[in-house]
Amino acid sequence: MEAIFQALISGLAVGGAYALVALGFSITFTTTKTLNFSHGEFVSSGAFIGMSAMLLLLGKPITSTTFGGAVPGVSAQLLALVAALVVMGALGWLLYAVGVRPFAKQPGMAWVMSTLGFGVVLDSIGLAIWGPKPVVVPSPVGDSVIHLFGVGVRPQELILLAVAIFVMIVFDIVMRKTMVGKVMRAVAANGNVASLMGINTNAVMIGAFVVSSALAGLSGFLIAPITQASLFMGLAIGLKGFSGAMVGGLNNPRGCVIGGFALGVFESTVNLWQAQWREIAVFAVVILVLAFKPTGLFGSRLVEKV
Amino acid sequence: MKKYSHIAGVCAIAVVLGAAALSIGNDYYLHIAFMMCVYYLCAAGMNVLVGFAGQKSLGQAGLFGAGAYAVALLTSQTEINPWAAMAIATATSGVCGVLIALPSLRVKGPYLAMVTLAFGIVVERLVSDWTDVFGGAQGIYGIRSPEIGGQPMSLGQWVCVGLVFCAVTHLLLRNLLNGRFGRAFLSLQADEIASSSVGVRVYRGKVIAFVIAAVTCGLAGAMVAQQNQYINSDFISFQLSIFILLLVLFGGAGTKLGPVVGAIVLTLLDALLARWPSVQHTLYGLLLLFALYVMPGGVVGALSKLVGRESQDSKEEYATAGGHVTTLLRGGRANSAELLTVTKLSKAYGGVKPAQEISFALKRGHIHALIGPNGAGKSTMINMLTGVVRPDSGSIRFNGKEVGGSAVYFICCMGMGRTFQNLRLFADLSVLDNVMLGRHSRMKNGLFASLFATPKARHEEETTRRRARELLELVDLGHLASRPAGSLPYGLQRRAELARALATEPELLLLDEPAAGLNPQETAELGELLLRISKFGVSILMVEHHMDLVMSISDHVIVLDYGIKIAEGKPSDVQVNPRVVEAYLGVDEAEAA
Repeated sequence: MEAIFQALISGLAVGGAYALVALGFSITFTTTKTLNFSHGEFVSSGAFIGMSAMLLLLGKPITSTTFGGAVPGVSAQLLALVAALVVMGALGWLLYAVGVRPFAKQPGMAWVMSTLGFGVVLDSIGLAIWGPKPVVVPSPVGDSVIHLFGVGVRPQELILLAVAIFVMIVFDIVMRKTMVGKVMRAVAANGNVASLMGINTNAVMIGAFVVSSALAGLSGFLIAPITQASLFMGLAIGLKGFSGAMVGGLNNPRGCVIGGFALGVFESTVNLWQAQWREIAVFAVVILVLAFKPTGLFGSRLVEKV
Repeated sequence: MKKYSHIAGVCAIAVVLGAAALSIGNDYYLHIAFMMCVYYLCAAGMNVLVGFAGQKSLGQAGLFGAGAYAVALLTSQTEINPWAAMAIATATSGVCGVLIALPSLRVKGPYLAMVTLAFGIVVERLVSDWTDVFGGAQGIYGIRSPEIGGQPMSLGQWVCVGLVFCAVTHLLLRNLLNGRFGRAFLSLQADEIASSSVGVRVYRGKVIAFVIAAVTCGLAGAMVAQQNQYINSDFISFQLSIFILLLVLFGGAGTKLGPVVGAIVLTLLDALLARWPSVQHTLYGLLLLFALYVMPGGVVGALSKLVGRESQDSKEEYATAGGHVTTLLRGGRANSAELLTVTKLSKAYGGVKPAQEISFALKRGHIHALIGPNGAGKSTMINMLTGVVRPDSGSIRFNGKEVGGSAVYFICCMGMGRTFQNLRLFADLSVLDNVMLGRHSRMKNGLFASLFATPKARHEEETTRRRARELLELVDLGHLASRPAGSLPYGLQRRAELARALATEPELLLLDEPAAGLNPQETAELGELLLRISKFGVSILMVEHHMDLVMSISDHVIVLDYGIKIAEGKPSDVQVNPRVVEAYLGVDEAEAA
């Protein structure tokens, strides 16, 4: 029983990271009908940029692979977070400018290749700077396990969960209650009509990529203290985030978030039982869901007019 | 003649290269040559999938791994003949190809790409984590290579074997892509709905393309494992999937030489940069990012644009058919039995009900018109008849058989051809290819007949080409046969689509607003053409707003309004029917009272 509760908590925490990634996919897909196929690399990059910022603030070279017991203070952590968000947002802009915009109108999903390529370049640059070794990143709230209802929980997991939920709620309110949200929904519904109404669709699309990439960075920054920062961690998180989005329905942000959390919990439950089948079980579930609901559990069907 | 000269050319090149390989003693060069063969195999199959069928697979490394590990386990654990192991491994990979294609039944586009990516990752994890079976990073030793004269094959001999495989693959795929299947792949890449409406089994086509890509990749994997006599999890990586994709995109997706160029150039590049892995990866990333931008057709596409070579078709003389139209010779209108019977057909989208218990019958050899104000449910009716939209209830009997809810391609094969309200031609294909695609469902050559270009397959191809030309003559487009369909003016595109629908050899032709966007002169010509087609014995049901056209050529008119049939009968009767007048023009309240 305790083991299951434990799995539930850590599943929700890692699910929070997936949900942030899933939300990022949903944002770009609804506004631009494209996805960032290198979203995973963005997650890793977010983790490493946050880490490097902290190392700089501690007066260490950014290429050092250990914190050597030094724990950055809260202000340093927050500065690092801001740095990660800003840099990732800028990278999102760059990605849109060089990898998405020139290809969005081309047939045959050329943007899949270009965003993949962007990720490969990013990955190689990361490898050149930081090398392939994983780095242990200290958590701002310490690594001592706290006990909650008789199960040990790492404080960082709670932070990840709390931040993820907070971001989702803010996003939901912005989308539903503000003009910005209305504009984004208008572009999502029909970009051409939106631009005829005087909406700067290009700016909205850039915004979508900036927000989406910043969310990926946030996810990487928050999960690094739990899993260690590694350039290879992003691919799995990105893929599972996307799986969560598919399960929930790419065109429904709330569905994506639910899908991300559900997948996280499912994964850690399977982990309890047979660790090596984790990935396969997760993807099996995704394929099963798609077989019955091709647009996800909460996605709306697109009807093509003939 | 041309056919054999190509085969001879390919064989000659293979023999020369093979002889060169056997005379070179340098293992480094031989290894590069071997990898070129391996990557060519991967690229050739992948080209069918990406370049022709238009499906993105980002998990080819998984299929490569399936072949490599199958041969590894077979030869290291059992006493099986290494050649047989290679064959079984290739087949295993083909089965995995079916697995990866299964989701394509339900999802497409980015969803499918992501599913294939996940497949590659799952295989990668499986071989690195499940160490009991696959050995993980330790790998599997003792893989047996095929033997020649009691010795495992030397690298030079491997290159020769590779060249043979490449030449055979090239020739087989060339046969396949030059005919019925190549066209079908291109059509489903362009427009799945139009593709199925001309009788292409879209899902089956995708599975075939996935399996072809899987088989060649699996063979490549098996060759690498057997040549190295060792395999470990490092061979199977996401980078490999990307590299295989890049081979095709860089060389030129959808061109027949693209994979050759891609394999040669990128393998050389790979070997030259092997010392600097990070430079290598950055370069691949940049190529992926910019190759499609700088040269959308890859190296081959860019070169052929530079040379400005005309396609062969334009030089080919087209035979005038002398007004003879084989396809359409039918019984004429003597037999006026009911061809299509619709009974109580209903469809609702939430509160909108475009069809409410509609019943009517169409007679063989007649021209029927379906009219009604906008939103009356006319297009929905055509879509239900052709299987694009599934009716909620009711029955559609065609030639005495129930077809309601059947697949689109099946209804096409039964003998219903259609055109679309908003033209759905395959814009990048030539007009002739569009029309030839129409006859897809009538061609009898299967996959293997096409692969080996059997006499039957060649005969079918010839017949189809001839009939397509006849139809193009009929609609007066013979001189534009080799032009891309998308480049034609609007009115001519309508005629091309009509020819394509006729090529399906329909008994019933469904036309969704055939005169939309035509000027009065063109509309009158269309009317005459439809009458001619009708004389050949083809029944017609058209949705149309041009009342003069409807009234002048149709034998029978059905009027819909808000999903309800409000009238039917002879054009002259319908014209004066008060309910029809009311639906079109409204009615004064005073009069109505």
